[in-house]
Amino acid sequence: MLFFRSEDDIRAWCREREAEPGPAVSVDQLWRLSVTWYGTRLDPDPPRRTPAEARAIFAGVGLTDPFWDPVPRQE
Amino acid sequence: MAKGLDLDLRVRSAILETLAETGVAPAPGEIASQLGESEARVLGAWGRLREQRVIVTADDGVSLLMAHPFSGVPTEHTFEAAGVRYYANCGWDALGIPAALGRNGLMRSRCANSGESLELEVADHGPEPNDWLFHSLVPAAHWWDDIVFT
Repeated sequence: MLFFRSEDDIRAWCREREAEPGPAVSVDQLWRLSVTWYGTRLDPDPPRRTPAEARAIFAGVGLTDPFWDPVPRQE
Repeated sequence: MAKGLDLDLRVRSAILETLAETGVAPAPGEIASQLGESEARVLGAWGRLREQRVIVTADDGVSLLMAHPFSGVPTEHTFEAAGVRYYANCGWDALGIPAALGRNGLMRSRCANSGESLELEVADHGPEPNDWLFHSLVPAAHWWDDIVFT
């Protein structure tokens, strides 16, 4: 989970690792995701997040690709 | 800390509060002293929190590697605020720390491909405008297959 200066940098980095690039995320999206995901982290007893709730959080910042689905697909 | 919370929650909170205050991962003995509990009982909670993926430890089962979004060991992803340097596990957590703390400061990381430095001022409304990108190699469903690699 890393930062990149450009799409070209993502592609070059993945090519070196013979990996398919995943979806690129803007820093603005990542910040909004962080606020929702981690905003209650220091609460004494935050509720455990269900897969459906996690999926909704990703979707809430526009991350709807199956890549972000937290439930393993049947393989 | 409110009474009635079970030991695991008290240990969880103490770990995160220590990291939030100091940026340094505590040892079980420190948490035991803070909570007035025996180290053995705290170590029991430590193991349960590891199983619940609240913390990630080194092979010794004790040394804290991660208590998301904080890293227990130095990394290249940092956030600095009020004179404290926090280490993050990854790019996401470098923004997760200010989001969790609700604190303004300076986030530092770099481009994983070129090595170009990234420095972003993070304020209440988020990081300053920029066109950097974030990328995860591992799909969400497999993050915990090997969370250190992820």
